[in-house]
Amino acid sequence: MISAGDIIYLDYAATTPVDDRVAEVMCECMTRDGVYANPASRSHQLGRDAQGRVEMARREVARLLGASHTEVIWTSGATESDNLALKGVAHAFRDRGRHIVTCRTEHKAVLDTARQLEREGFEVTYLTPADAGRVTAEQVREALRDETLLVSVMHVNNETGVVSDVAAIGRVCRERGVLFHVDAAQSAGKLPLDVNRMHVDLMSVSGHKIYGPKGIGALFVRSGAASRLEPIIHGGGHERGMRSGTLPTHQIAGMGEAFRIATREANAEGERIGMLRDRLWEGLVGLGGVLLNGHPEARVPGILNVSFEGVEGESLLFALRELAVSSGSACTSATREASYVLRALGRSDQLAQSSIRFSIGRYTTAEEIDRALAVVSEQVHRLRDLAPKNMLSGRRQAS
Amino acid sequence: METLEYSSQVRERFEKPDNAGRLLGRSVTGGAGDEALGTRVEFDFRLSGDRVEKGVFRAYGCPHAIAAASWVAESAEGRPLWDTTWLDPLSLASVLEVPDYKLGVLLVVQDALEDAARQVERMED
Repeated sequence: MISAGDIIYLDYAATTPVDDRVAEVMCECMTRDGVYANPASRSHQLGRDAQGRVEMARREVARLLGASHTEVIWTSGATESDNLALKGVAHAFRDRGRHIVTCRTEHKAVLDTARQLEREGFEVTYLTPADAGRVTAEQVREALRDETLLVSVMHVNNETGVVSDVAAIGRVCRERGVLFHVDAAQSAGKLPLDVNRMHVDLMSVSGHKIYGPKGIGALFVRSGAASRLEPIIHGGGHERGMRSGTLPTHQIAGMGEAFRIATREANAEGERIGMLRDRLWEGLVGLGGVLLNGHPEARVPGILNVSFEGVEGESLLFALRELAVSSGSACTSATREASYVLRALGRSDQLAQSSIRFSIGRYTTAEEIDRALAVVSEQVHRLRDLAPKNMLSGRRQAS
Repeated sequence: METLEYSSQVRERFEKPDNAGRLLGRSVTGGAGDEALGTRVEFDFRLSGDRVEKGVFRAYGCPHAIAAASWVAESAEGRPLWDTTWLDPLSLASVLEVPDYKLGVLLVVQDALEDAARQVERMED
């Protein structure tokens, strides 16, 4: 039995532990000796103190995005931000057009929302990435119609780490007067962001992907162009009427602190994580029959998604249980559904199911990478030896 | 990814199957399944008369497939290979605590055993 303390965490793209500095700030906003009052209670000092914390955090988030603090709306996370962006635009501006463009490899928070809008009568074009997981500006340009209302393209894919050229796509959207939403949950704090240079009108971000708390996110809503979103949660008129509900001061303060740290440390951290990623990749390539999923250059430092030839996905994941990693297959379910992202990139079901996403973060060490490599090497060789034939060479296994 | 839960017997046979590999010399081989579809199982059986003296397996598949192939290769020993009626996938599912949605995997293992039995019949023909 492997105890939790022995597991090497390589799933930072799923979520991150809260940074100690963030936890400290959060704790200041919860108990009786802290800033616990309702930030909407402006009739007393305690409420105004809480409001101050909320607004300080809003500025930190805005700073990382290159936005104004007046353009940041608090949500419960990137999923709600995506919902608010797509539904909010569609419902508020349906008189302008009923066509939306997005990509088949988007997060389900966008895809399932787009499906819901289809049920409501909107038409959605789902682009297939043309460039090793990247949607190009040219693809978007060709998909636009006179009645296109919104384009939604993620900055960094959560499974492959592939980075799309959102600035080029944003330029196309701006030229055509189409609103542009970017899910930046995987890029905030990892890559430089600038909503103005990228011509972005709406941007979703999350707290827990960058060492902040879970249950908090934000949506950048550009002043003017998209500032009249139809809310999806009503009651109280918080956040300029776009997202009602009592603001969770401790989570917001935590997210603000996480974004403040990222603004200062992201560059150096990205460099270190990129070196660890390269160390892992070089070791994996040595096993043979290891395929990189996604673009070889345009990818975020912390994510490495590979497929292992000749190894079945569920057995691989179980054999690697000393490592906390993600699989490209929901293989214990009845459907054995392979990753729709990897399938969209042209991988077979078999290779998609034998894929593993390693994601590296702030607390990953070189020793952990070396240990992970040793575990993967041992188990991949063992499972390949068990198989009827050596699928790397196509020959039957030697006796 | 849902929780990966396996019985202790599946874990043991997956981790350290002591009857995996290939038999050298004269043996009967049977196989079924397709790697591209997720499961492929092969058996080698060395016979003494009509009975299995030694059975080994090779498997590409989930831990249940590997454990089931190991269990069948071992359980076939001492039995006549032409008679495969002793293998009941539902009983095997119960022994190894295989969930219902994995019964198809056990059918591939059964097909591989029956393929080996047919090889014996052909040899006799």
